[in-house]
Amino acid sequence: MYVMEVLLGITGKDFTIIAASKAAMRGASILKVNDDKTRPLNKHTLMAYSGEAGDTVQFAEYVQANVQLYSMRNSTDLTPYETASFVRSELAKSLRSRSPYTVNLLLGGYDPIKDQPQLYWIDYLASCANVPYAAHGYAQYYCLSILDKHHHPDISFEQGMKILRMCTDELKRRLPIDFKGVIVKVVTKDGVREEPYEDDKQVLAP
Amino acid sequence: MDALVAQYSRPAHQEGFADEDQQQLTADIQPPLSLKFALPPIASSQQWLRAMTDDNSNPNCPIKIAHGTTTLAFRFKGGIIVATDSRATAGNWIASQTVKKVIEINSCLLGTMAGGAADCQYWLAYLGMQCRLHELRHKRRITVCAASKILANLVYSYKGMGLSMGTMCAGVTPSEGPALYYIDSDGTRLAGNLFCVGSGQTFAYGVLDAQYNYDLSDEDALELGRRSILAATHRDAFSGGFINLYHVKEDGWVKHGFTDTNGVFWDTKLNKGEFSNVTANLD
Amino acid sequence: MSRRYDSRTTIFSPEGRLYQVEYALEAISHAGTALGILATDGIVLAAERKVTSKLLEQDTSAEKLYILNDNMITAVAGMTADANILINYARQAAQRYLLTYNADIPCEQLVRRLCDLKQGYTQHGGLRPFGVSFIYAGWDNQRQFQLYQSNPSGNYTGWKATSVGANNASAQSLLKQDYNEECNLKQACELAVKVLSKTMDSTKLSSEKIEFATVGRTEKGTIYHHLWSPDEIDALLKEHGLAKQDEEPEPSSGGDPAAGVAVH
Repeated sequence: MYVMEVLLGITGKDFTIIAASKAAMRGASILKVNDDKTRPLNKHTLMAYSGEAGDTVQFAEYVQANVQLYSMRNSTDLTPYETASFVRSELAKSLRSRSPYTVNLLLGGYDPIKDQPQLYWIDYLASCANVPYAAHGYAQYYCLSILDKHHHPDISFEQGMKILRMCTDELKRRLPIDFKGVIVKVVTKDGVREEPYEDDKQVLAP
Repeated sequence: MDALVAQYSRPAHQEGFADEDQQQLTADIQPPLSLKFALPPIASSQQWLRAMTDDNSNPNCPIKIAHGTTTLAFRFKGGIIVATDSRATAGNWIASQTVKKVIEINSCLLGTMAGGAADCQYWLAYLGMQCRLHELRHKRRITVCAASKILANLVYSYKGMGLSMGTMCAGVTPSEGPALYYIDSDGTRLAGNLFCVGSGQTFAYGVLDAQYNYDLSDEDALELGRRSILAATHRDAFSGGFINLYHVKEDGWVKHGFTDTNGVFWDTKLNKGEFSNVTANLD
Repeated sequence: MSRRYDSRTTIFSPEGRLYQVEYALEAISHAGTALGILATDGIVLAAERKVTSKLLEQDTSAEKLYILNDNMITAVAGMTADANILINYARQAAQRYLLTYNADIPCEQLVRRLCDLKQGYTQHGGLRPFGVSFIYAGWDNQRQFQLYQSNPSGNYTGWKATSVGANNASAQSLLKQDYNEECNLKQACELAVKVLSKTMDSTKLSSEKIEFATVGRTEKGTIYHHLWSPDEIDALLKEHGLAKQDEEPEPSSGGDPAAGVAVH
């Protein structure tokens, strides 16, 4: 079922956009239409998750607590790269345990030292890749071609949002299940913020 | 030497620092929230349980778990409405028509029961105990947020071992106002305005969604809750019996009867002209 | 009187002192001097080697300076055997950090990790504190070049120039006198040998009597650390006229060791 959950990530000149679908689905029902599948890890890192019910939030909050503990103990934040490495190592450890977490992740961040946006694609088998744009689930099949065509490393925030709109429109057009639109969050040098995103427009397949 | 070093050094920064610290914390402050049960000596409790209990694939299965339910709860301006049916089924057999599926955790907190009746009853009673202990320790009532998380973490710790529950926690606290959470045995925990849980959930959603409005009056809200359960009992074979109706308000919950669906059904049909597919006369 | 309070590390004396920790500090004050100097483009660590013998194998018995990880080194004053335990622990901690975060451990964190261990031995019953002080030199992204010192109590402090071991008071005052915040690595090396030559018992130094190490940055901008070979040390001593042989000091004949290591 969780291949129907949408996770999207796009980096640009000075930002990383993370979008996650708002539907919480269980069996035949959508239980919630404004579910937030993201967790801020520290000032410059945001994690979006999809996967096995229960595992997702448990893992995300576990990672969040540890990253925040690191910040408190060392009065410095982990960089997005270090955070991604940490998350990957936790997943890898879990994968080899008796009950592994089945969680797919996108880790969006902004590295304040290198002054660069960062995006990491991580799956439940603990692969971790630094990428300019990424998606999880069925969204991959639709959106990666769009992103391949329209994405450039130095796009402005407005261009980034425009590409995101193309992606979500296509998903509305073709995905067989209504994912109730997306929550959009942006990471910049100033931290994480939520970006208002219009979802009401109906999109029909031609 | 390594043992000595391990003993006196801090838990290593990452691979377990939180793990150990967390366990340390909870262990120090209070007894563990997760109880320890002896598990049967089998490879996969989930598979075993399925083999023993799955009525669909094996009608002769030795254990028939009580299943099948409709429960609902929704938030509105006057508080929260909680409504359930009262039927317990074990396979195709109706085990009881008078089950109390609303569990009164305390004067301001309600839990609902769907899935395994025993699992729900046991763990919601346990949750009630934890809530009372919280009250004694902290000198104030537990928030619905915290109570629901205790339950979610608890069931998550038994994930894959065969627990089956879909419950809602509804309550009003001074810090949160009216709050409603959905928790299931997958470990999912969601805050929301409106949930229906159980085999009859779709039927209840159908009626409830169409007329739900946050600004409903108390009477209309109660009626909507009652009508939604009725709809589910009418169409879902595994739901029926009595309609158990509660209204959670700022100063605690109020019970609005345990009403036989039969009477409600005929009242609805005859006085409002609904359920026109059911013929009232025999000719 | 004090007998009752000094045989156990875990017990305070009536004056509020921990005798075992103080004894450990005392043991260190007899050890060979070690010093560290922070320069703008690097750090130098230098240490006096107390055990010298013609029969000693020079290459295989470093006893004062150790590499902790790719961007940190340390100088030891005190019991080398104790130091080995701690250094092994630090190296493991650094590698473990590298494994989880794919990044080198920040200097202060590694120092703190070691100091937490040292502290444990001042508090738990029946254990003797580690009889070692360290001077750490390292580099990290956040605070660039850094110099730290720690002692058996588990305290650590950051410094621009510092020393531990025998005569550390006089070394400290020499450093205070001659340290210049704008100095480069080469000048720091010069200061290091000068201070050592004054605090050590023998008037003339040689590569047998001291160990020398630097942390710096190559022309490409990568961080290196380097434990000096006897030849490099001798060349440095010769350059500054502190060599053992009573020859005329030849100006800059031996080359410039500080520049020489930059290609390392």
